Amino acid sequence: MRLHEHEAARFFQQAGIPVPPFAVARTADEAVATLPKVELPVVLKAQVLVGARGKHGGIALAVTSEEVREKVGALLGSSVRGLTVETVMVARQVPIARELYVGATIDPSAGAITVILGVAGGMDVETIARERPEALFRRSVVPPDELRGHQARALALEAGFRGDLMVKIADVLVALFRVFRKTDALIAEINPLVVTADEALWAVDAVLDVDDSALFRHPEMPKDTLARIDHPLERAAKQIGVSYVDLDGEIAIISSGAGLGMATMDVVGQRLRPANFLETGGGITEELMYKTTHLVLEKPGLRGLLINLYGGINPIHEGAKGIVRVLREQNVTIPVVAKALGNRQEETWATLAEAGVTIVTDITTEAAVDALIARLAERDVS
Amino acid sequence: MSILLNKKTRVLVQGITGKIGRAQTKWMLEYGTRIVAGVTPGRGGEVVEGVPVFDGVLQAVRETGAEASVFFVPARSVKDTVFETLEAGIKLVVVVTEHVPVHDTMEMKTEAKKVGATLLGPTTPGILTVGEAKMGIIPGNLFPKTSGPAGVISRSGTLSYEVGGILAKAGIAPSTVVGMGADPVVLTDLPDLLRFFAADPQTKLVTIVGEVGGVQEELAAEYIAREFRKPVITYVAGRNTPEGKRMGHAGAIVQRGMGSVESKVAALEKAGVAIARTPAEIGPIARRLLP
Repeated sequence: MRLHEHEAARFFQQAGIPVPPFAVARTADEAVATLPKVELPVVLKAQVLVGARGKHGGIALAVTSEEVREKVGALLGSSVRGLTVETVMVARQVPIARELYVGATIDPSAGAITVILGVAGGMDVETIARERPEALFRRSVVPPDELRGHQARALALEAGFRGDLMVKIADVLVALFRVFRKTDALIAEINPLVVTADEALWAVDAVLDVDDSALFRHPEMPKDTLARIDHPLERAAKQIGVSYVDLDGEIAIISSGAGLGMATMDVVGQRLRPANFLETGGGITEELMYKTTHLVLEKPGLRGLLINLYGGINPIHEGAKGIVRVLREQNVTIPVVAKALGNRQEETWATLAEAGVTIVTDITTEAAVDALIARLAERDVS
Repeated sequence: MSILLNKKTRVLVQGITGKIGRAQTKWMLEYGTRIVAGVTPGRGGEVVEGVPVFDGVLQAVRETGAEASVFFVPARSVKDTVFETLEAGIKLVVVVTEHVPVHDTMEMKTEAKKVGATLLGPTTPGILTVGEAKMGIIPGNLFPKTSGPAGVISRSGTLSYEVGGILAKAGIAPSTVVGMGADPVVLTDLPDLLRFFAADPQTKLVTIVGEVGGVQEELAAEYIAREFRKPVITYVAGRNTPEGKRMGHAGAIVQRGMGSVESKVAALEKAGVAIARTPAEIGPIARRLLP
């Protein structure tokens, strides 16, 4: 789950990272009311979960309280990269002498945490890595080890910093690493970390993406996980415990595993266009399959439905009952083809076939796509 | 011959008294797996499918000689349970559980390296040695009765079943099918699994079933180019994955320009690996490559 900037900034601040004074506003009046505490001049930042807000009209500067009122009014309700702005972060402006990058992320190959210090900042880290790779300095830490102060100082020294500034940067790195571990983060980033003319540091942006699988042990995290998913069908899927990704085709797909779902997309995509990716994971029940079938059929303009299931951990014979309930209730007329193999496959086939589903018993997904194309052709003829 | 697991391996089932643990124990026993013990804390003394249940791993190991363990324990208990299992001296652990926190996985991986144990997962369907034994949830009826020359390593469960079936249809039986796990960090890296197949005289070729996301396929490409001498076929799923979207698995995501099918296929092709564009293409390619 990606946190909003103001939420991430709070975690950073609590860990001792210097963050310019800020507040959050939902109306122009609220924004003006924060000024005695935040102090002018301020930066007004749309709290939407996308990057590059600056380039897309999501960030404004204000020097007077009239400007704050006017610009917050304009930001609220506006759309930044397709997302509607509901809250604005009001933060004190800091004078910028230099911009740095600091971040922590998971290195999947090493099973370690990579801490990164960049002597360039303000552009995204991939761009820095591509255009100025020599500007990034990295250190790998293997949990349960922590990032020690001396290791952070060695990194700052390597990056060319000296004196008090070197020590302050190392302190930020250690604090960021602690936040990363403490919040079960996947990404923690300050970009830019601003250096002022008198060598003070300020975290002027805050990114924190935390592991959904670890939310059970983080009561301090926001509870609106679902509300952060933009696409209505993707949100509905999460709610029933399956995984849906919207695509731009017309063949709906239901699969019982992620790899199988991606392979189904690949095979369908050779001759038709997949409307979605959907995988149920290992929790199939009649009810789950009922809701899932309902969900994928909600997308307008579908021409067919391809079901691809394996009965390993999943009772697919139960799932089949849920599927046919939807087909009957909604009187579904588009062709439905199912390949369902594994434990109790014969029962599954019987249930589905009775509701007019074409059954494919061949192991290849190609065979299922062939059957679907044949059904589509029949329809075109009639 | 096979890798990691055979019909003599003494298997422990952790979380054996749960609904899934119970059902899967039955399927594993029916397949021929030598299950000697189960563990669920607080349920010692019970019997599940004829298997004695213990309160802790150490006790189960002492009394039954269990040497490998398969997990059906909840995600929040996985880390603790892995440490308990490694402390009891078990060297093969299969973590079927999904949604294990990545930070826990990193700590488990460090510990496994330290004690020299092989841990599969998290989010693995497990391991199945054809005609002998299985640990995990891979359905036995999708594979031939007797084993053959094809090693299979898969990130995905369901797709490993499909590929096993496709190989069987081409008249080629697998030797051992290994699920490496579908999380961003896996407990044993792909090159280490390939090393087991390199040392297995029965395995004459290896099929790798990859997915978008992560770097395992790229690590494998480096290793194969350097020292793996058996033929390798790879299919990498998720060619049409939109950037930034998780495709079901926590690890299946193209993010920050990394993890695309194109980059994986390019690396593998350069290492001399045969590329299948769909799972079905694996059958004919395997027939051509088999000595």
